[in-house]
Amino acid sequence: MQFVSSLLDIRSIDAEDARRRQLLNILLLGVAAIAVFALVAATLTILSSPQSEHGENLIMIGGSVFTLLGVGLLYLLNRRRAGWAAGALFLTLLTLVFAFADKPAEVAAGRSLFLFAIPILMASVLLFPAASFIAAVGAGIIVSVISVVSLDILPTMPAILGFFAVALVSWLSARSLQRALEDLRVTNRELDQRVIERTRDLAAALKRVQSESNKNQAILESIADGVIVFDHQGQAIVANPAITQFLNFPIEHIPGRDLSALMNGDVREADRNMMLGLLESDEPGRSGIKFDWGRKTVSVSVAAVRDGVGETTGTVMVMRDFTREAELDRMKSAFVSTASHELRTPLNAILGYSDMLQEGVYGELSDEQDGAIVRVVANTKRMLNLVNNLLDQAQIEAGQLKLRPSPVVIHELVDELEAIMGVLAEQKRLELVCSVDESAPDIVISDPQRLQQILVNLMGNAIKFTDTGSVRLRIYRTDAAHWALDVTDTGPGIPLEAQGFIFEAFRQVDDTVTRRHAGSGLGLSIVKQLVTLLGGEVSLISAVGRGSTFRIILPLTPIEEQHA
Amino acid sequence: MNEKLALVIEDDYDASMIFAKAMEVLGLHTEIINSGDAALERLQHVVPAIIILDLHLPNVVGSDILRALRADERLIETRVVVATADPRSAELIQPLADLVLIKPTMFSQVRDLSARLLSVPRNHGRRTAEAVD
Repeated sequence: MQFVSSLLDIRSIDAEDARRRQLLNILLLGVAAIAVFALVAATLTILSSPQSEHGENLIMIGGSVFTLLGVGLLYLLNRRRAGWAAGALFLTLLTLVFAFADKPAEVAAGRSLFLFAIPILMASVLLFPAASFIAAVGAGIIVSVISVVSLDILPTMPAILGFFAVALVSWLSARSLQRALEDLRVTNRELDQRVIERTRDLAAALKRVQSESNKNQAILESIADGVIVFDHQGQAIVANPAITQFLNFPIEHIPGRDLSALMNGDVREADRNMMLGLLESDEPGRSGIKFDWGRKTVSVSVAAVRDGVGETTGTVMVMRDFTREAELDRMKSAFVSTASHELRTPLNAILGYSDMLQEGVYGELSDEQDGAIVRVVANTKRMLNLVNNLLDQAQIEAGQLKLRPSPVVIHELVDELEAIMGVLAEQKRLELVCSVDESAPDIVISDPQRLQQILVNLMGNAIKFTDTGSVRLRIYRTDAAHWALDVTDTGPGIPLEAQGFIFEAFRQVDDTVTRRHAGSGLGLSIVKQLVTLLGGEVSLISAVGRGSTFRIILPLTPIEEQHA
Repeated sequence: MNEKLALVIEDDYDASMIFAKAMEVLGLHTEIINSGDAALERLQHVVPAIIILDLHLPNVVGSDILRALRADERLIETRVVVATADPRSAELIQPLADLVLIKPTMFSQVRDLSARLLSVPRNHGRRTAEAVD
């Protein structure tokens, strides 16, 4: 089949020409097949009955051989020459064969007349649509010549008209066929063009994606933090070289492994479970989680990976070597602890000895001596308070101030505050009013020590800056999820321009006030930071001459234990 | 048991002087011990009525001393007042102590609270509510 089609195939830049010449090849093949069949048939007839007359059979053999030779020549011509040459020659020969293959009477007006329709039909498809008319003219001439010359009769007009009718039909159908084919070719060409353009676009897009991906890869590889991405099944799909500083795996062995396998015994059981929990949670999104990995301290951030439409496709973990920072933290912590001890110890000794003197352990004191001791104690307490505030501030800044959640009975808290602050208020002849609304919670889970520190600070400030009137504490519920503590005084009030910075560390409203009411300027900063740690907010409502209210709003949900 | 003995286990000179004075004022015979191992050694031989115990001690830390003496049947009536500057460790040992004082502790505070502790017999393994308030 391949061989036959390669025999028939014609290569030409003109598709129409190729189609015509290919058709001619098919016809030639058909004619050759008929000739071969005739040759075989005639030869078999001669061989089967050797005694008979074989004139007709011999003519058939000769004709067949001659036909085969002609077909061969035409085939070669058709293959080599573009255009109509071979086709026209073939049709001419065919017409001539039809003209002389039968008796003149049959050709001109009998059974062979219809044979001329064949070249007429073929001409329209083999050469060009209008060629059927040329063939019709040719056939008409042949029939007329034979009629006049050989038979001496007038040509059969219906036959000649019939030729032209066939030519007309054939011209029309060939023309529409040619147009349809032409349209098809145009469509094909357009289609090809489009495919080429698409392919080019696709290649360009692919190249862009590739370069984008190369860029992303380069960025990923140059990040100093370890980056690792897990799919929904918890298996690593992407990792950068920096991750190998923690993992004992070569980078190429990471994909396909799960976190548990990657952590590989270098991580404590509890930390490993915590990490696996993060990976499995529906909404991973935590940062700054620290744990020890082998000899290193790692700080991990976890986030969900989302595709273009916001669906999570996995989890990315970014791991930072936190070893040095952790070491610095430990040193800072050690320093704070040492400083705390070293600063407090001598102050405590001074207070202790002063107390003993005041208590008359070393004999009765004169009024003057007693007055001096009172000043020593007051100044030492001020100093101690300053040291405590500085250390709290340092601890908060170092992130080392840990909350210790436990139940806080609101009425007990208020009683304690009344006991502590009552003395101070009394000394300044101020009214101290603590009230708990009906709506207030009875018990909250918070950090009692820190809660008390906040209120002692605010109420201490209120008493310190108020000369006449009252200091009030009111506890109430603001909504289903929050409760509030208001500390209100009838003091000088805080000017609007100062309200913006009053919660900043080391700031006080003005120097004269500071000088009169000694303080580090740390109290409110610590209050704000402690309130934030407790999950709440502190705000200030104040105007000059109208007193101040510090409002703390805290969540009713229990605070969480913090891990060191 | 020797009703008269108070042990002040404290390595800071000033603090130990103040605590000792508070004990003396209460009429107790007072000994000052300034290291953990010496304290353990001494506790083998005496049964104090009250111990003022610092947690930060050389050689053996205060919490270990506290655990050791709480495990000793002889010392079942001994009152222990822990004085420490560290609220965190104070919290941890609170169940074992009769009273925990966070430094700075005033002379008068130690004197008065100790007096109240000594005025009631020690219930086995429990703090007396009045003594703490």
